[in-house]
Amino acid sequence: MAETKISEYVTLVSNDGYEFKILRSAACVAGTIRKAMDPASGFKEAIESRMTFENLNGLVLEQVCLYLYYHQKHAEARDVPDPDVPQELLLELLMAAEYLQV
Amino acid sequence: MIAGRGRQRIKPPRRGLHGGTDIDFEDTWGTIASAFREIHTKNASRLSYEELYRHAYKIVLKKKGDELYKRVSEFEHDWLRNEVRGSIQALFSPSLLANTQSLGGKTTNERRVAGEKFLKGLKQAWGDHQVCMSMLADVLMYMDRVYCQDQRVPSIYTAAMVLFRDDILNSPTSDDDGRVVLGLLNHVILNQIQMERDGEVIDKHLIKSCVYMLESLYDDEMEAEEQRLYTMSFEQAYLDTSRDFYRKEAEDQLRESDAGSYCRKARRRIYEEEERCKSTLLESTAPKIQKVVEDELIKSRIRELVDMDSGVRFMIDNDRLDELNLIFDLNARVDDKKAELTRALQKRIVDMGTDINDAAITASQAPAAAPASEAGDKGKAPVQEKSQNQQTVAAIKWVEDVLQLKDKFDTIWKVSFDEDQPLQTALTRSFADFINSTTFPRSSEYISLFIDENMKKGIKGKTETEVDLVLDKAIILLRYIQDKDLFERYYKKHLCRRLLMNKSISNDVEKHMISKMKIELGNNFTTKLESMFKDMTISEELTAGFKKHVAGLGEKDPKRIELAISVLTSMTWPLETMGSGDEEESKRQQCNFPPAIDRIKRGFEKFYNEKHSGRKLTWLAHMGSADLKATFPKVPQKDGTFKERRHDLNVPTYSMVILLLFNEVPAGTRLTFEEIQAETNIPHNDLVRNLQSLAVAPKTRILVKEPMTKDVKATDRFSFNEGFQGKTIKIKVGLVAAGNKVENDRERRETEKKNDDSRAFCIEAAVVRIMKQRKELSHQQLVIETLNQLVAQFKPEVPMIKKRIESLIEREYLERIEDTKVDSYRYLA
Repeated sequence: MAETKISEYVTLVSNDGYEFKILRSAACVAGTIRKAMDPASGFKEAIESRMTFENLNGLVLEQVCLYLYYHQKHAEARDVPDPDVPQELLLELLMAAEYLQV
Repeated sequence: MIAGRGRQRIKPPRRGLHGGTDIDFEDTWGTIASAFREIHTKNASRLSYEELYRHAYKIVLKKKGDELYKRVSEFEHDWLRNEVRGSIQALFSPSLLANTQSLGGKTTNERRVAGEKFLKGLKQAWGDHQVCMSMLADVLMYMDRVYCQDQRVPSIYTAAMVLFRDDILNSPTSDDDGRVVLGLLNHVILNQIQMERDGEVIDKHLIKSCVYMLESLYDDEMEAEEQRLYTMSFEQAYLDTSRDFYRKEAEDQLRESDAGSYCRKARRRIYEEEERCKSTLLESTAPKIQKVVEDELIKSRIRELVDMDSGVRFMIDNDRLDELNLIFDLNARVDDKKAELTRALQKRIVDMGTDINDAAITASQAPAAAPASEAGDKGKAPVQEKSQNQQTVAAIKWVEDVLQLKDKFDTIWKVSFDEDQPLQTALTRSFADFINSTTFPRSSEYISLFIDENMKKGIKGKTETEVDLVLDKAIILLRYIQDKDLFERYYKKHLCRRLLMNKSISNDVEKHMISKMKIELGNNFTTKLESMFKDMTISEELTAGFKKHVAGLGEKDPKRIELAISVLTSMTWPLETMGSGDEEESKRQQCNFPPAIDRIKRGFEKFYNEKHSGRKLTWLAHMGSADLKATFPKVPQKDGTFKERRHDLNVPTYSMVILLLFNEVPAGTRLTFEEIQAETNIPHNDLVRNLQSLAVAPKTRILVKEPMTKDVKATDRFSFNEGFQGKTIKIKVGLVAAGNKVENDRERRETEKKNDDSRAFCIEAAVVRIMKQRKELSHQQLVIETLNQLVAQFKPEVPMIKKRIESLIEREYLERIEDTKVDSYRYLA
């Protein structure tokens, strides 16, 4: 359906209006984003390559994006250093991870 | 590329992830349900995945997963029942429904169109369902992950597929009809396939997608591999109808067409079914349908097929190599041993072989019938000679025919049978069968004759490789021969003639042949043949030695006669077979040589006895030959010239003796047959033959016979032919019937008798060897072991072995062991 429109980047939008443009391949590490962006299903997100998260704020989403890149970067490496995550966001990140199925 | 890189120092207010915490289930479900409806009507692009996902996520978080699951199932159930089923039922055209009951009525085209429409609709519905359900499943991912896994219920996608099965495929085709859509689907697919078999073009892709649908659905909830709907409902029906179809087709085809086209068709069908499984059905069906087709088209028909008028026999006769290859291929599919094909082949070989045998027998017997019975009668000699020539021709023809047959089947084997090993064994066995057939005892002799002929004439002007080829052929045939001792006997006889008469074209080739036989049959077989060659070499040395010796004596004799001699070991040379074979002549009287010859003969005897004492020389004049310089006096010629003519005559020794006789008497004297015989003491038969060649044969008529008839009688008178005129200076006087001929019946009986005698010795030797080793042995075992020992040479008959054992007991080599259950013997040292 949207085969031709597949762009290399997708835009992730937080509930407070921050937009993160990240590589599609990195974004698709998250199950929820992958499904939403699946061109075969043809949801609004897939057509627009843009996904808005009503329950994630900019801070959390930034961390999520960092992690997605971090994951992609170290996909094949061993003995990777743990990502540096701000303590105060841990709980929220945990819930985001569950939600996004990372 | 992360937007908003500038670090946000301000901490956002902490809110839970789920904004307005308390959500109303019914409201949320309403949103979701309407969104699902949109999805089902393909309007998904207006929906936000994130929103739907969030709703479902929240519901699950609120521990309402089971409720949601139930609702979704019900929703799908309703959707399929109300929307999809209606649209499927709309596709049932009356003709399609009618089809299930009877095939007749509608044209194939109508049926095909209706069927395709139905399949298309079903495929569409299935496809839509799949797409929608995967979208739904995406939306409900969180539910699947959390609820379904925890509760161990099938994922919503699987559940929806099951619903499709129940609500669509297992729904009745119409309200008042007991049949279900699934049955109809099977029927339509089978119908389509049948159409394709009948040569129509069908939408394979369409069927394939329907088949995929059946494959991905299961008969029950267990989802076991063998419970696929495809395997359960469709495959069996497919195999059954195919079986019926092919059974009928096989019958029709066998009735209507020949074996070759049947094979082609069968092969095409097999291939088609394979293709069909790839393109239309599932590959997992391939082996099964393959078996069905093979069973119906080949296994149960192969016998009929092979035996058809146009079957294997026809193919062999007409060199239908490709068709044979087809048959081979088909037969190999169903039977590793290819029993039917083998059977037909063997029968054909034996038949053809027997034909060749019969032809050889008729060719050799038809003209020979008369002289064979009274071979001793000299009056029949020329006829006999002719018939013997014919026999030789028949023999050579037999060998060539057999070789041709062998070539033919070799080609067939190579080209058509993929050089299949068991088949080769079968072919070999069949060849051996007819070559050793009891109704045709001459094969050994014929093969030896064939080699003889080639040694004398055949290989002239051929390159080494060609000669090799001929020899190899002979060896091939030799391999089939069972009674190798008989062959040896004949070969020795023929070789003996070739050597003594210098008929052989090349000694190298002879030796080559022997070494080939050595490889094939072993050392034992060729020792005697080799020693014959050795004798020849020694003889050459002797001749040279004697010449030197004579020269050393200083006798300057102008009339000196050169002597070339062959000293033969009587054990190794089949001398007795060289004579004409008369029983009463077995004690051959010595002929009277003219004095000049006699002197040199005695000289050689003396010379030889000096070298080797204690050896007795027997002169075999009937095997020798002599070169004479003959001077014919001046007599008026046809062209009116008076000229003295000189000829170099090469004549048999006896002829030389006869001619020298005329040297002694005044010109023009006539000698009667009896006088000549009395004077020379040449055996009657030899004399007849020599006189025939001297006086009757037109090219070498050195003597004149009165009366001028073809036969030689005791009262005939002979005189020197002064008017003899030869075309060439050198004239060879051939001895009538001197060539190697097929034996006549009497000779054969004799050869066989001799053969039996020598076999008797072989058997006795074998028995003694065995008993010496075993000391005691039962009769049965002894016979078996004897057979085993002798298998390389010949196949002795059991009664013969028994006789030999008895004779050994008489001569106290063995004794019977008393008081044993089975007959047993003990070796007496």
